[in-house]
Amino acid sequence: MWSLVKQLVHRYVSRKTDRLSLAQVFEQFQTLLQNHQKAMELIADLAEKAGGDYVFDRKYLIDVVHDLQDELLRMVQGLNIISANRYWLLHEALDRIFMPLQAEVRGRLLLKEAPYVVSLRNIPLDTPELTGGKANTLAEISQKMSLPVPNGFVITSKAFRRFLEHNNLEERIHAHLEAWLSGKEELSRAAGQIRYGILAGIIPQDLAREIRSHTEERNTNWAVRSSAYGEDGELSFAGLHESFLNVPSDEVPEAYKKVLAGLYNQEALTYRVRTGVIGEETAMAVLCQETVRSLAAGVVQTVNLEEADSDAMAVYASFGLGRTVVDGQDSPDRYVVEKEPPHRIVTQDIPSKQQLIRAASGGGEEEVAVDPDLQDRPSVSRETIDTLVKWGLSLERYFKKPQEMEWAVDESGKCWILQSRRLVLAEPFDRSEKDICDSCALYEILIQDKGAVARTGVGSGRVFTVRGNEDMNKFPEGAVLVTQFTAPWLAQIVPKASAVITERGSAAGHLATIAREFRVPALVNVEGALAVLHDGMEITLDAYHRLVYAGQVSELIRYELLQSTVFEESPEFRLLRRLLKRIAPLHLIDPQSPEFTPDGCTSVHDLIRFIHEKAVQELMDLPTFLQRFKGARVRMLDSNVPIGLKILDLGGGLHPEATGDHVRAEDIQSLPLAALWSGICEPDVWSTEPVHVDFKGLMASLTRNWDALGEGNHLAGFNLAVIDTNYMNLHLRLGYHFTLIDARMLEEPQHNHIYFRFVGGVTDMTRRSRRAQVLAQILTEYHFNAVTKGDLVVARLLHLPREEISARLKILGALIGFTRQLDIQLRSDQDIPKYVREFVDRHGNFTHSLMPGGANECKQASNHGAGR
Amino acid sequence: MNANKLRIMVLDDEPIVCKRLKPALEKQGYEVDTFTQSSDAAERIKQVEYDIIITDLKMQGVDGMQLLTDAKKRWPKTEVIVITGFATLETAKESFHKGVFDFIAKPFKLSEIQDVVSQAEAKIRNS
Repeated sequence: MWSLVKQLVHRYVSRKTDRLSLAQVFEQFQTLLQNHQKAMELIADLAEKAGGDYVFDRKYLIDVVHDLQDELLRMVQGLNIISANRYWLLHEALDRIFMPLQAEVRGRLLLKEAPYVVSLRNIPLDTPELTGGKANTLAEISQKMSLPVPNGFVITSKAFRRFLEHNNLEERIHAHLEAWLSGKEELSRAAGQIRYGILAGIIPQDLAREIRSHTEERNTNWAVRSSAYGEDGELSFAGLHESFLNVPSDEVPEAYKKVLAGLYNQEALTYRVRTGVIGEETAMAVLCQETVRSLAAGVVQTVNLEEADSDAMAVYASFGLGRTVVDGQDSPDRYVVEKEPPHRIVTQDIPSKQQLIRAASGGGEEEVAVDPDLQDRPSVSRETIDTLVKWGLSLERYFKKPQEMEWAVDESGKCWILQSRRLVLAEPFDRSEKDICDSCALYEILIQDKGAVARTGVGSGRVFTVRGNEDMNKFPEGAVLVTQFTAPWLAQIVPKASAVITERGSAAGHLATIAREFRVPALVNVEGALAVLHDGMEITLDAYHRLVYAGQVSELIRYELLQSTVFEESPEFRLLRRLLKRIAPLHLIDPQSPEFTPDGCTSVHDLIRFIHEKAVQELMDLPTFLQRFKGARVRMLDSNVPIGLKILDLGGGLHPEATGDHVRAEDIQSLPLAALWSGICEPDVWSTEPVHVDFKGLMASLTRNWDALGEGNHLAGFNLAVIDTNYMNLHLRLGYHFTLIDARMLEEPQHNHIYFRFVGGVTDMTRRSRRAQVLAQILTEYHFNAVTKGDLVVARLLHLPREEISARLKILGALIGFTRQLDIQLRSDQDIPKYVREFVDRHGNFTHSLMPGGANECKQASNHGAGR
Repeated sequence: MNANKLRIMVLDDEPIVCKRLKPALEKQGYEVDTFTQSSDAAERIKQVEYDIIITDLKMQGVDGMQLLTDAKKRWPKTEVIVITGFATLETAKESFHKGVFDFIAKPFKLSEIQDVVSQAEAKIRNS
């Protein structure tokens, strides 16, 4: 019944909208493109705010979400007008995606969505209220920094609330706390009563079931520890909460209750009163991790507390579990290591170790004597120390504060990070705020007031210039990445860099996003950076002031590490990142995938992408199109290149005096089409190597229709460009290839884009995918963000200046010719680099590519690409 | 840096603004007090002469406009910098000419406010 109503409505609306004139359709389309542009700008603006260079408030976030919703609503309406309401389901998708966004900005944590138990692998980042500080930090270490953290899961704060509710504990706890705080009850009694209440509580069945499903997943014992909100973050609860090690799976629920009860021990309560966070304990989460049966374990402190102003760190190690170091009777091994490579060991103490704590076979721990042969030996190897030092420095670089890292080496010799928290220094030393500016003035300034801040902060290291793929593997940990472009593939070395400086790109670009993700200070669009910064130079980037100093400005670096706040950890920045996560990622890439539907949209960007694609398709849907274009002024381009291109000028795309039905290449005034066409007309594009084919025959094959694919005759050689002065939407159906290029080139780079899509071919899928690989690799050489799926290639490029867009359109023109028979040629994977090379050699004069000179290097570059 | 530090008051009902401005301005060598409650700030300026006041306009309770009027009356030498949402910026600019040193639209870059504060400082030091 309902579907019948839908159909009727649909038919009614369809009939009505069919009457839209061509001019109206294009007017709608243009408006839609403007909304599209506006929405993308809002997203870029928002992303830029995550870099720390701006001061924004919650109101700003609310406004942006609101404006974004407006633009999206207009886009949905626009598409529905163009398409005779075929996409009215988009309204549902719009609500589905924006409702949680609205809830987020209004500060309502989405408890409905939140799980009781979540595995460490799948923890949503930036929700420490749900998972606690310790788990959030570990998830960041494992998800973002890809360092090894033992598997596990978190029983979230939502579960804690469920537990309290189920046992009517909330009021009781409150009553006791109030009695204590008002002096009516002794601390020991209040604490005891609360703990008793919790230990006697019953874990509700649904929660117990969820815990069981995680513990049963693996045959192992667990470390069960608190992960309270604020813990390991701004406040240090270190050692105040109990943890239980080596707990067998069936005892996890009981250990869970004990950890919850531990939240109310006397020390913890006193601490919370002192720090003013009493009453916020509803945010208690509990972390359960697989027990690492460690041969050795210990702690790394990235500042050597005994000599805090030296540039050294301390490594503590002992046999057995970490508790041997933390609680043990014996002194552990202690190394003081220089922070600067090659990380020389300054001092080492290897005392005799009599006892060790280890995991007992039936659960729990036991203290045993150390094997007499081992007692006086170091508990870890030099390699382990190197690894730990490297990890400690990475953690400090990422979290921007001195770190205290707990680690373990398991029976197979593998190292693990058990946790990391901010190292609290007893007394901030070197407190010389007013001297900072004076000290910096002593250093030579290499670059000043140039570029845009992608991620603020201070970073120092040696310059390493990346010019091509072959430089990638050589990038040293902690170096400053200097590069001309912000090509997407650079993303993989950003986490290793201490700072990033690029000559091109914008703060809204892909590389900027990555820099923010990994908290690497980054300055982009710094003109002439490569001329000033040479490999091996030691420099310091101060992104706060857009300054690059020669040398290591240790005063500034130290100030940053000890004095400044880490903006990323404030609630507003967390909120911003949570919003961005629902807004910015693009998952819908392949328009032919079955997920390419309103239901498949999971982010605002997906919606935008879907609507844009469908609007373009709607316009280009040939039967409707031809019907619509009855009476429209479509002209034929006369040219030596027999593509048979039809042109629809929306305004300013053709010379005003070209009034006939046929136009010439000289009449093209549309900047993107003119650029593309100049590439298409390059002399060697259509007629040289790799295959000698008679020109006529080649053209015949090119314009062969799509009958073989069952597409029908009407598609034959239908090649159309819809243009205006700065815009081009081009559809080419050459032979069995289908190419779509959508490009815009205005004076302001932020409005510019190229979208390229290529699919089809005559040969088998293997060869066609090889061709897709060739195309993607060539496109990547010219800084496109290219993805392939089977024989489909989608490449994008954003925010480049007009001339750069123009040069790349010329490349695309040449590429269209180059690909015509590629799939026939590509007999094996070894052919891929050969053809990439050939193209770049032939057209290298158009614009700068990333490809280096020698033929040997080419192989490396291409191998890299193929592995992507 | 001059030996006698300038005193700056920052008033914004959104804690994040105070939290970001305080360290940034302190790093420049100023002494900074921050307030998220305009009533607290209003009490404070009865006792303390700030060299520079940075305030939002739209807030709960005493609004920023009232506060800056009072402050200027009591301490004519105090320079006021208004930070406000983009939408209200033009209205704010039009609505009064009573000696506000400058207006900055939120969101703004840290360097922007640091520049304006430096200019205000230059004015104060020269007078």
